[in-house]
Amino acid sequence: MIEATGLTKRYGTKTAVDDVTFSVRPGVVTGFLGPNGAGKSTTMRLAVGLDRPSSGTVTVNGKKYSDLKAPLREVGVLLDAKAVHTGRSAINHLRALAATHGIRRSRVDEVIGLTGLDSVARKRVRGFSLGMGQRLGIAAALLGDPATLILDEPVNGLDPEGVIWVRTLTRFLAGEGRTVFLSSHLMSEMAQTADHIIVLGRGRIIADAPVREIVALASGTAVLVRTPDAERLSALLAAPGVTVTQSEPQLLQVAGLSAPRIGELAASNGVVLHELSPQAGSLEDAYLALTKDDVEYHAGGVPR
Amino acid sequence: MTTTPPYPAHGSGLSPRGLMLSEWIKLTSLRSTIWCYGIIVVINLGLSLLLALSFRSPGAGTTALNQGYWVQSATIGVAFSQLVIAVLGALVITGEYGTGMIRSTFAAVPKRLPALIAKAAVFGLTTLGISLVTLVGGALIAAPILNSAGLGPDLTDLRAWGAIVGGAGYLTLVGLISLFLGTIVRNSAAGISAALGLIFVAPIVLQIFAAVTRAAWAVNLLELLPSSAGARLYGYSETPVPGISGVIVLDPGQGLLVLVAWVLLFGIGASVLLTRRDA
Repeated sequence: MIEATGLTKRYGTKTAVDDVTFSVRPGVVTGFLGPNGAGKSTTMRLAVGLDRPSSGTVTVNGKKYSDLKAPLREVGVLLDAKAVHTGRSAINHLRALAATHGIRRSRVDEVIGLTGLDSVARKRVRGFSLGMGQRLGIAAALLGDPATLILDEPVNGLDPEGVIWVRTLTRFLAGEGRTVFLSSHLMSEMAQTADHIIVLGRGRIIADAPVREIVALASGTAVLVRTPDAERLSALLAAPGVTVTQSEPQLLQVAGLSAPRIGELAASNGVVLHELSPQAGSLEDAYLALTKDDVEYHAGGVPR
Repeated sequence: MTTTPPYPAHGSGLSPRGLMLSEWIKLTSLRSTIWCYGIIVVINLGLSLLLALSFRSPGAGTTALNQGYWVQSATIGVAFSQLVIAVLGALVITGEYGTGMIRSTFAAVPKRLPALIAKAAVFGLTTLGISLVTLVGGALIAAPILNSAGLGPDLTDLRAWGAIVGGAGYLTLVGLISLFLGTIVRNSAAGISAALGLIFVAPIVLQIFAAVTRAAWAVNLLELLPSSAGARLYGYSETPVPGISGVIVLDPGQGLLVLVAWVLLFGIGASVLLTRRDA
């Protein structure tokens, strides 16, 4: 269980995390979603005491992280794959971390096997690919077999096989009753991994709900209508709050009216319909809709 | 609120012994450590051998002169190996900041200070051990060579041994000053520069300043710099230096105290910043 209350972090005049309150429950995978610079990493760093909050609190299992007696056993953290001395081998990195908590050598070998690092364990981290670095970071997070996992962008740099591995692993760990909190800016990944999603934009929580609710939020009411009488139908549908766009001669996209209502209107006016389908929103659409005003770095002016 | 996980717990939790072991693994698993300590061994032993070989009996040598040759042979390497140890001391911590390792360290040891103390203890003890072995080794290499040159030292002279052990102590304390300076600046280049500046550049600047102005305070300040205090600690002189009123001259014991004061000064500064700053 991770609980943040009124959590705020300012760097000079810039507010990275702005009065954020949320809780991450055990037994489910909670996704932390937001564009780059939204404050996800900062929030996670605050949770494990690497940064001090400007105000507010964040606790893990009811305690401040720095008050934990055996932090690695309670919380496994992957902050970024580069939190490793590049001149040291993977196995020595893990041995050094394990030693702080008296974790046995056999457990080090275990997490190396679990993360598929056997062949590179004795190589210096300097030569590691981004994906291998991520695996090493995840191995370090798993060392103490913690009940809470905080993973910042765990799939970043992983190949498709690695992405599926992380997805399976996090779902498995949550299934065991652990608290799993992972961030990503990839909404498609979240849709497949997370049960619950917290969306952050410019340091503020935009949404905090189960995945299907987040998707429903933005599914909106777009309905695809195929009719040989497109012009007459669009005239019939015209009303305040209704948008009708015509992409093909016989194809209309209607927003602001439900599918049954469109069907009724068409029937009562004798308009033939060939297709009438509500468009299920994807998490991606939801995410873009939610964060469109909160993106820190716009690519700007890209014609679509 | 406590949670009882349904899976086995690994390890016994944070302990001073565990932190020391962790820092030992970190120290010994980097090539820079092996290189630096290797260079120190070569410098300390090699220079002792070379200097001892260079001494020739002028005929009627006094015991004091012979003891001086011997201690000088044993400790000649200190002036050079302090440079290496200052670099290593800074790297031990700035290497963690530069690579991001420090975040892993602080995530494992969120109170931070115990990690710094363990690091300083492991690095200090290792440096002390290697310095002691190489300086005493240098003394034992030099003694028979000087003997055969007719400059046989008195191996039961405790003051001479004090100077030799003092050399090892000086190297250790210089390493710790450098480690704490590195903790304060958090950057390898800056840490090494600050340490070498304090040890090598500051004395030269002060010397020039003192020579030009003839100010007593500048002379006294010079005497209190780590390098000067250290030179008193591992220096060997039969008679105390004649006192000039208003000018401080440290004896070996005072030299040690001044060095310890420098270590504490930077150690406290490093501890305060370490616990307050964002990592």
